[in-house]
Amino acid sequence: MKIYKNWVTILFALIVLTGISVSKVIAEPTGKLIIFHAGSLSVPFAAMEKHFESRYPKLDILREAGGSTKMARMISEIGKPADIMASADFKVIDKSLIPSHASWNIRFASNQLVLCYTANSQYASEINHTNWYKILARKGVIWGHSDPNLDPCGYRSLMVLQLAEKYYKSPGLYNQLIANRPQKNIRPKSVELIALLQTGNMDYAWEYLSVAIQHELKYVTLDDHINLGNYQLDSYYGQAQVTVTGKKPGTTLQRVGKSCTYGITLIKNAPNQEAAVSFLDYLLDPSGGLDILKQMGQPPFIPSRVPTQAMKEKLPTVLKERVIVKN
Amino acid sequence: MKSHSDPFLIMSIGSCVVVSLFILVPLIQMMITPSWELLTESIFDPDIQKAIWLSIYSSGLAAIISFIIGTPFAYLLARKSFFGKQFVEGIIDLPIMIPHPVIGIAILGIVGKDHWLGSLLHKLGVQMMGTVSGIVVVLTFVGMPFYINAVKNGFESIPVRLENVSRSLGASFSRTFFQITLPLAWRSIMVGIIMCSARAISEFGAIVVVAYHPMNAPVLIYERFTAFGLKYSQPIAVLLIFVCLILFIGLRLVSKKNSAL
Repeated sequence: MKIYKNWVTILFALIVLTGISVSKVIAEPTGKLIIFHAGSLSVPFAAMEKHFESRYPKLDILREAGGSTKMARMISEIGKPADIMASADFKVIDKSLIPSHASWNIRFASNQLVLCYTANSQYASEINHTNWYKILARKGVIWGHSDPNLDPCGYRSLMVLQLAEKYYKSPGLYNQLIANRPQKNIRPKSVELIALLQTGNMDYAWEYLSVAIQHELKYVTLDDHINLGNYQLDSYYGQAQVTVTGKKPGTTLQRVGKSCTYGITLIKNAPNQEAAVSFLDYLLDPSGGLDILKQMGQPPFIPSRVPTQAMKEKLPTVLKERVIVKN
Repeated sequence: MKSHSDPFLIMSIGSCVVVSLFILVPLIQMMITPSWELLTESIFDPDIQKAIWLSIYSSGLAAIISFIIGTPFAYLLARKSFFGKQFVEGIIDLPIMIPHPVIGIAILGIVGKDHWLGSLLHKLGVQMMGTVSGIVVVLTFVGMPFYINAVKNGFESIPVRLENVSRSLGASFSRTFFQITLPLAWRSIMVGIIMCSARAISEFGAIVVVAYHPMNAPVLIYERFTAFGLKYSQPIAVLLIFVCLILFIGLRLVSKKNSAL
């Protein structure tokens, strides 16, 4: 009887063990996982890569950072293989990737614009949230933003200036500020401006809050009506409009102010679909990737959001539990 | 007859074909992709004209600067052996090895107001960030090693006894250099100039860090690619390749002619 009992236990243990190992084989992502992401996500994504790779040592995450529009083009026009694309403006995914290269778009985090500087910037001891626009208009102050045609942070910086004109009821402020910003102070990506700040080539630069925190820069935070960080003020932000280049040289299109909302998607025909879904599951986990984002100054949406029920239906099963339908 | 079927000869011809195709196939593909319309549109696009012209003259300036300050140095390296010579030669090769954006960052690091040199330049009214001066500094930095190495080899191939004869006949050190050595090294100097400006014209990574505006051709190609996609960046690349081809073939012909004299 005892022997019989032992056998049952062993058999049971064996079944459980095989069950675990089989499920582990299925769940364990391996190979290469290619992630394209906005430059402003570099630091949190690097931390997530480290965590995730230590959890799955057989997986190698390859990240490529750049202006979101450019990264989307790499996929849609060059056909560069990628599994996941995370954009600093969720609309980039809607415009350039859906429907041919992606079928859904999850909004997972937000951000806001701040004015960064260093201890060596001119008037560094004076600047605060009430006088920043007066200082930017001073002669000799070198400030810049990224290229509005290439980087969402670029046109958002211009929107902040337009909103400031409205908020401070100071007509002509926008033009006055732009007149004090020669074209050479524009860079392709906002992250590149940091090197200019740190080497003393520039006094002030417009960045996302997250970037300012991650690079330990000093920064001025602005009122919610200006900083594009509060989605409840989207209708107020809508008053700002920036003209950027269109699909062809010489053509233009309008970008309308909206809160900074990050979007992420799985690329159709992703070379490593399984690992990609598993990474997305980790990223959207409130105690996983979303927690890292929180620590690094990019307030996550907990839970993350998709705009419609129809889109939620298109998500891989594991991800459905991670999101809610909210516009 | 036998030599025609030598395996090494066949291998050499084979590798010649492989290498040529390796270089030409992607380039030809890119050159034939843009439509004729887009190409002509691009030729008359003032932004493109400006960018290509900026690329050419800033690279030319880098080559001229290398010629002026690099030639005496190359001569020293070719003729004299001194303590630490290999170390100095190593330093010259550094810009070839350093990743390009790092070069840009390094240069920005000394021209900013936080550095004494940068603050001095600012006081003198010289700005490097986003200016043609900045571009030329970067291009000289990356092009100089190619110039110095080519010219050093040129000087080394000139027999020392010719210089010794000149000096024994009473010519001074500098007269010997300008009347004997320099004319004999003319061809390698031309090769050096071609190498240096070719390297400079192709530079992107360091330039985009130091000066996004004003845009030279590689930066404009990048900007057009990111903003409008492949279709509108290719024609600029085609034009740049075409202009460079003419320029460099021209320079090579000139240097050949001179060496024949």
